[in-house]
Amino acid sequence: MTARNPQTLMALPAEENFDFLFKIVLVGDCCTGKTSILQRFKTGNYVEKHGNTIGVDFSMKTIEIESKQVKVANNVGPNPINVAVINSFFWEQLQIWDTAGQERFRTITQSYYRANNGVIIVYDITKRSTFANLQKWIEEVRRYTASNVLIILIGNKCDLEAEREVDFEEARQMCQYIPEILFVMETSAKENTNVEDAFRCLATELKRQHDVSNVQELNEQTVQLGQGKPLKSCSSSCNLT
Amino acid sequence: MSDELPEQFDLVVIGTGFPESCIAAAASRIGKTVLHIDPNDYYGDVWSSFNLEALNQLLEQPSPSLLNASYTWHDAATETNWTREALLAKSRRFSLDLCPRIAYSNGELVKLLIKSNICRYAEFRALDHVCMLYNDELVSVPCSRSDVFNTKTLSIVEKRLLMKFLTACADNGEDKCNEDTLAFRGRTFQEYLEAQKVTPKIASCVLQAIAMCNANTSFEVGMQRTQRFLGSLGRYGNTPFLFPMYGCGELPQCFCRLCAVYGGIYCLKRSVDNICQATDSQELLLSSAGKTLRATHVVSAPGYLPGMVCELQPHISRGLFIASSALGSEELNKGGGGVNLLRLLADEGKREAVLLQLSHYSGTCPEGLFIFHLTTPAVSNDPAADLAVFTSQIFKAPAPQILYSAYFTLTTPTNTALSPVKSVYCTAAPAYELDYDAAIENAHQIFSQLYTDAEFLPRAPDPEEIVVEGEDPSALNENSLPEDLRAQLQEMDITE
Repeated sequence: MTARNPQTLMALPAEENFDFLFKIVLVGDCCTGKTSILQRFKTGNYVEKHGNTIGVDFSMKTIEIESKQVKVANNVGPNPINVAVINSFFWEQLQIWDTAGQERFRTITQSYYRANNGVIIVYDITKRSTFANLQKWIEEVRRYTASNVLIILIGNKCDLEAEREVDFEEARQMCQYIPEILFVMETSAKENTNVEDAFRCLATELKRQHDVSNVQELNEQTVQLGQGKPLKSCSSSCNLT
Repeated sequence: MSDELPEQFDLVVIGTGFPESCIAAAASRIGKTVLHIDPNDYYGDVWSSFNLEALNQLLEQPSPSLLNASYTWHDAATETNWTREALLAKSRRFSLDLCPRIAYSNGELVKLLIKSNICRYAEFRALDHVCMLYNDELVSVPCSRSDVFNTKTLSIVEKRLLMKFLTACADNGEDKCNEDTLAFRGRTFQEYLEAQKVTPKIASCVLQAIAMCNANTSFEVGMQRTQRFLGSLGRYGNTPFLFPMYGCGELPQCFCRLCAVYGGIYCLKRSVDNICQATDSQELLLSSAGKTLRATHVVSAPGYLPGMVCELQPHISRGLFIASSALGSEELNKGGGGVNLLRLLADEGKREAVLLQLSHYSGTCPEGLFIFHLTTPAVSNDPAADLAVFTSQIFKAPAPQILYSAYFTLTTPTNTALSPVKSVYCTAAPAYELDYDAAIENAHQIFSQLYTDAEFLPRAPDPEEIVVEGEDPSALNENSLPEDLRAQLQEMDITE
């Protein structure tokens, strides 16, 4: 089966054939719908009944991101400055991690937060307690993630308007006091409201941050097992025999 | 779904150290219901990594598994900007291991992580240099063919001798009737080395760093270790060793994560007050935080079983140093600091210690600082005295600028952890070893006793391979088609 982008029916680039890879983790109280959001984004489907998450803990999805770059060329000649807006497209692979139910007794492993680029904190708009706990999640994220991590806030289950306990305005106001949070959005995994948008906005922002920072990543020198580098690319290591 | 803890489990595991986490993951992976608890509020027990503040707190309140603890600031004498306050302000950037280990690139740990697919939760840093002390000088031991070619440590003749010797070691064992090696059965590796007419420098390269021997190591063991070293070369980096990014405390958590992914339940800050045999069944009754739990089996880290007094003896003496400069020459610390290994010998090779230098590239300390982990088998109840013969070898002019030092002793139970109740198993305390071979063996053995014939950590499928119920991954649903195609489809429907 060739993988295809459901939006464009274009064949997805072969594995590893993408320009950027970002790691995103989902956190939030138990039963706020993290797995449903992930399922919806990944497969486009909604599964009504999830127990605690079993067997699946991360998903990969490659999306196409449009990036506007303003290029200023300082030419010599009659037109001293040329300004051009270049639209370029990038394949961005998002690796999205689910908590595997470890949040049930507030025992998420620290290693879950390592080396990630973005965090999505989810609360349930029909359950005030999940909103009240956001502060604790933000503290945990601050404690265990790098300082340049991007955080977005998602109020899930916005289809259940009748049972709403948290106003959107309230969430917006809270975000003003927490500078790390990029934006807040209400979603419904069930009715497919804003799910794709939330991931897309985060992905675009990650790309922008990546362009700005331009820092040599520590990551490039780390080893992931099972992916031994081909010998020609690391000339200093070869076998003795 | 409620936050209520279920009451019935196939397996309750107490302690989240490395062997316990392995067993919990393996049991959960084959479909057993697992409850994994830890009396501490962090994962990993003595196998954990701590930030600077947390480590100090831990050292101020020694526990049975961690004795003779002390720490000292040396910041007053320094000329750097790294004052005590500056270090503590960056406390969270530290990941300080109680039990630092490195893994052979082709060793048991790496094989297990790859086989079980747990490797997706971990990242590693390839060690930059394996070092040795030769004539009081810290030099890099050439590991790869190009290393041997480029090194300035050895003369051209020595280079050829070393290559010849290592090639012979790599081939050893293939030819069983090799007369050359038959003669050395039952003798020491050092004797074999001497018979090969290598120079003293090569001999110490091989003994100190490659075969990791002392004067009494047998020929067979030495040969086995040399082959293990050679077999791990050329896989990931320049040396045969890997260090887990962010410290060794990450590793038990990777196993815990797999356990949770397969339904294992995690509770920290929870202990078991009593365990007894149920009268009406084969099950065990555990009382924990005012609640009674039923379990078919219980596995516990040493020291966490209620009603079991185990005598503890000093086992490993540890020194931990934070410094603002690295050990050795610029060559050994390219790009702002290497992650280096140095094996030290003392007392005519009868005692040994392992020194691991970590730079910020390992994710365990802020840039510009270095951590030195010194580990040796305990000979007394004074870790600083145990390590003095080794620190005097390395921390002399030009010594690294030490800002902080800590010493402690890790213990092990004197009796091989026989539990008072049947179907309760005890894991072993950390052994003195470089890699995780003994810990994995311990976990595997207990797992086999619990579940005979079951596979130990079979490969966990990747998410792409899992089809969630009620979902057909091959079907494109109509809603996900682009507008124009959907319109075309509708037109087709109408015309038909």
